[in-house]
Amino acid sequence: MNADRTPRWAHFWLAMVTILMVSPLAWMVLTSLKGPDQLAAAPYSWWPSPWRWQNYADAVATIPFLRYLLNSILLCLGSVAGTLLSCSVVAYGFSRLRWPGRDLLFGALIATMLLPWQVTMVPRFLVIRELGLYDSLWALVLPKFFAEAFYVFLLRQFFLTVPQEMIDAARVDGCSELGVLWRVMLPLARPALATVALLETIAAWNDYGGPLLYLNDPERFPLAYGLEQFVSAHSSQMHLLMAAAVLFTLPMVLLFVLAQRVFVRGIATTGLKG
Amino acid sequence: MHRSESRIGVAMISPWLVGFCVLTLFPFGASLYWSFCRYDLLSEPAWVGLDNYRRLAGELAEGGSFARALANTAYYALASVTLSVVLGITLASSLAWKVRGRAFYRTLCFLPTVVPTVAAAVLWLWLLDPQLGLINGFLQKLNLPAQGWFQSTSAAGWPPAWPGDHAGRVFGSKDGLVLMSLWGVGNLLVIYLAALSDIPKTLYEAAELDGAGRTRQFWHVTLPMLTPVVFFNVVMGLIQSVQAFTQIYLVSDGQGDPAGSTLTLSLHLFLTAFKDLDMGYASAMAWVLFVLVTLVTAWLFRTSRHWVHV
Amino acid sequence: MSNGRKCRVRATNQTNSIEIRTWPRSDISPESLQGRWLFSMTSIKPSAARFAAVAASVVFVALSACGATKAVGLREEVVFWHFWGGRDRPIVEEIVEHFNTSQTRYTVRAIAMPGSNLDLKFFLSVAGGDPPDLLNHDDPVVADWAHRGVLTPLDEIATADELSRLRAWLFPAALQLGSYHGKLYALCNGLDIRALYCNKTLLTEHGLDLPETIADLDHIAETIAPPGQTTSRLRMGYLPDPRRLWAWGVVFGGSFANLHAETAEQMITADSPEIVAALAWMADYGRRYGPSEVAAFRSGEQALTGAAFPLLADRRYAVVMDGQWRVRDLETARQANPSLDVFAVKPLPAPPGGRKNAGWVNGNFFVVPGRARHKQGAWEFMKYWSGFDGHEAGAAVACAAGGWIPASQHVVDQPAYQQALHRWPLLKLFVQLAASPDQVPVPPLPVGSLYYNEVVQAAQEVLYRGADPATELGRASNRVRARLSEVLDER
Repeated sequence: MNADRTPRWAHFWLAMVTILMVSPLAWMVLTSLKGPDQLAAAPYSWWPSPWRWQNYADAVATIPFLRYLLNSILLCLGSVAGTLLSCSVVAYGFSRLRWPGRDLLFGALIATMLLPWQVTMVPRFLVIRELGLYDSLWALVLPKFFAEAFYVFLLRQFFLTVPQEMIDAARVDGCSELGVLWRVMLPLARPALATVALLETIAAWNDYGGPLLYLNDPERFPLAYGLEQFVSAHSSQMHLLMAAAVLFTLPMVLLFVLAQRVFVRGIATTGLKG
Repeated sequence: MHRSESRIGVAMISPWLVGFCVLTLFPFGASLYWSFCRYDLLSEPAWVGLDNYRRLAGELAEGGSFARALANTAYYALASVTLSVVLGITLASSLAWKVRGRAFYRTLCFLPTVVPTVAAAVLWLWLLDPQLGLINGFLQKLNLPAQGWFQSTSAAGWPPAWPGDHAGRVFGSKDGLVLMSLWGVGNLLVIYLAALSDIPKTLYEAAELDGAGRTRQFWHVTLPMLTPVVFFNVVMGLIQSVQAFTQIYLVSDGQGDPAGSTLTLSLHLFLTAFKDLDMGYASAMAWVLFVLVTLVTAWLFRTSRHWVHV
Repeated sequence: MSNGRKCRVRATNQTNSIEIRTWPRSDISPESLQGRWLFSMTSIKPSAARFAAVAASVVFVALSACGATKAVGLREEVVFWHFWGGRDRPIVEEIVEHFNTSQTRYTVRAIAMPGSNLDLKFFLSVAGGDPPDLLNHDDPVVADWAHRGVLTPLDEIATADELSRLRAWLFPAALQLGSYHGKLYALCNGLDIRALYCNKTLLTEHGLDLPETIADLDHIAETIAPPGQTTSRLRMGYLPDPRRLWAWGVVFGGSFANLHAETAEQMITADSPEIVAALAWMADYGRRYGPSEVAAFRSGEQALTGAAFPLLADRRYAVVMDGQWRVRDLETARQANPSLDVFAVKPLPAPPGGRKNAGWVNGNFFVVPGRARHKQGAWEFMKYWSGFDGHEAGAAVACAAGGWIPASQHVVDQPAYQQALHRWPLLKLFVQLAASPDQVPVPPLPVGSLYYNEVVQAAQEVLYRGADPATELGRASNRVRARLSEVLDER
């Protein structure tokens, strides 16, 4: 099978599948440009007429969009920083240092990945409350500084591939373990770190359950949660809702387009979305 | 040197260890303890022994909310996992063809997975709107009956079909959720594609020499070689669909609407804990969930010997 | 805006302190892990490390500071959560604005939490230790919350004189909605009343009159949709809604709770003969048309969009039970289509021995969390909106604008509201019903939501699946009894 011999039906089939996958997105974008009267019309059409770019301005004006956006960005930055910082150190401790009980603890770390979040949900809420973090973005960010198991696992797998000689050479040069991590491992692990950062960005951007549990002042809502408020309050204004949803999705699509390689490799090695 | 290495090692993993103890181990133990208590988060927990578990058993026997949630979860997990395996393999083997523009097709098929869950839920609520939605419009163009989707209960599953629903409404809220989960099949595609490209060419050549056609090659070479990935897909898919929350919460008006047809264990647990303030009962439910997931996973691992190609 | 400035000032302070910590290397003991971490960071790329530190501290400060409580000058800020959305939202915003301009001591900050998660968020905020000062809600949860001790009883924030006047001022149903164990915990600011909307044009076409008795209602149903038809139906004369067993149970002379009973066992009375009789009457419809047929007709309805009120949708029903808010819908529809059918409203007809002008009522109410910070401000705003204590005229204007039913006859009597009744004649019946002592809310028991749902589920089983009324109600009651005795034992 090579390109020259591709039968026409193959192209047809692939195109059809692709169109099926993408059409919901296209529908979202097109709906976001229609007027309310056009939405209620039963024999609907795909194309907006006229194209109402105004919807976007309206959607942004109807909710404190910029405030939510700022919160989302802070949430992403904080989460990524916490994750990278903690996970790289922990992964190094689990991969390139020998100490008694290491494998046992690593087993425990792996096991936590299988634990449904519902089991720990309530006590976690109390812990966060006792730390005085209720109704603060810190409630969502602080746990990221304690190294999430999945990312530790990912980075550890990567660190294990680094040749021992490089580490030994750095140690001979007088590097501390943190020095080894900083000078040797992290520069080499850049692709893995990028994957982790990317996955965590998406996870933080998407997080809905966290704000639902821990935030109660709209001043602190991130977009994911603010958008839902918009849904319930304006469920009849589907065009504005779609415009808001497009604005909310766009950064992730852009990120995907810019970092597609990292993305696909990350998923391929992990098999998971954040 | 060795002793300092272990000291540094422990120091380095300490962030995780602290988090593990405070945010996982303590909650884990606490929820086990509370599952034997009556606790409303506002006053001290009171020990009630096995009451909560007895209540669960009662609900199960009588067909109460817990039984409903269990059935809904099973329906959703089974349908979405099976269909995602089938769809994943089908799509991946098509996308593996060496055709021009392959990268383009792949990118577009992957794109839906980056759509944030909240946006996806909103979008699908609209796509599946019984009156104005794109999908029902499409069905009507094909002269098929309109479906109720998120506004109705599924024909199969719980609550069971209303027999005699002449209008041909088959698909309900859970099917809408399954459809939504299938839209995000892109994650799996990438893994399946990677696995497909890892299958040695020689296997196909040998099969061809034996006179196997395309179809037989698929059944006897491709599929067996994909089984490890299928296994991974099934295990992860199971865990994810049992834990799925955001999209279900959003499409069901936060309460499992309509008529409790989207009340999955995950949602039921959340509502029991934070709406009924029945932490003890919720903890018991969480533990049952945990044990169930563990058992099913263990069972999968056991049976995997018979069907997963190593 | 003062908030933004505060953010920035603190950011620079914080940045300085972190930079200072990274400079003097000699101060860092080599044993300290954190010290080594910083050391190795600075020794490699000082500028990058410093940049990272600055950036991190900016994020840190922003995370902590942004959205911190605003200073509101000299006035106390009352944080007020409510569920109002859609067309009522602007009216609510206006009430808040009016209150704020009328005040020198308090200012209300209204936060809309639409959707179904208001009570969820409320409980989380109570459990999290940071509740709002005031909450407006409409689910049957007052007793539950009061029982758990998360509400401020009104006698702690109102004077004894105010309270005794308030009790006389409120409609009986409104008083009942806010009470638990003889104490007031909530102030009702509006009632939701239901009645039968009848399509007069359609009834006349079939030679039928408006229903006065249960037999009339059955007759309407059978005339407009004769049982035994084989094809799928598009129209029903009348079809009971399982949720409204709460209304019919009362109409049939039943009571859902005996609040004076000693034990949980005796308190729950959903399986009493009158309520079973009401459900049996409803079940007759299921039997007559076939439970699955009824279910299919209803599930087809769920596919109608919210705006398509069943009454207006292709004359789907001749008679439908619904709330007062449909009066406004009908008016709007009539403006768009002057040749619309003529509608009338009737109270629920009672069987012999049943209760007239009876039904199920719910309402919106204010509650003040136990740990609220500005209880007096909350109380002022509660009075202002509900109309109590000299605010009747203003409340009447708001109720008239929203087509709401006030919580007191004194508000109804205001000119502004009388004008609304003149404009929307159908509303009159609802207001009359509001004063009836037989309009009964979900009993004030600390299992209100559960009780409501269990009864509805039982009625669904009966209507849609042909289950036996007595068995289903017995089961539902037992489940609620079990939970109630548990909850009552808790304290």
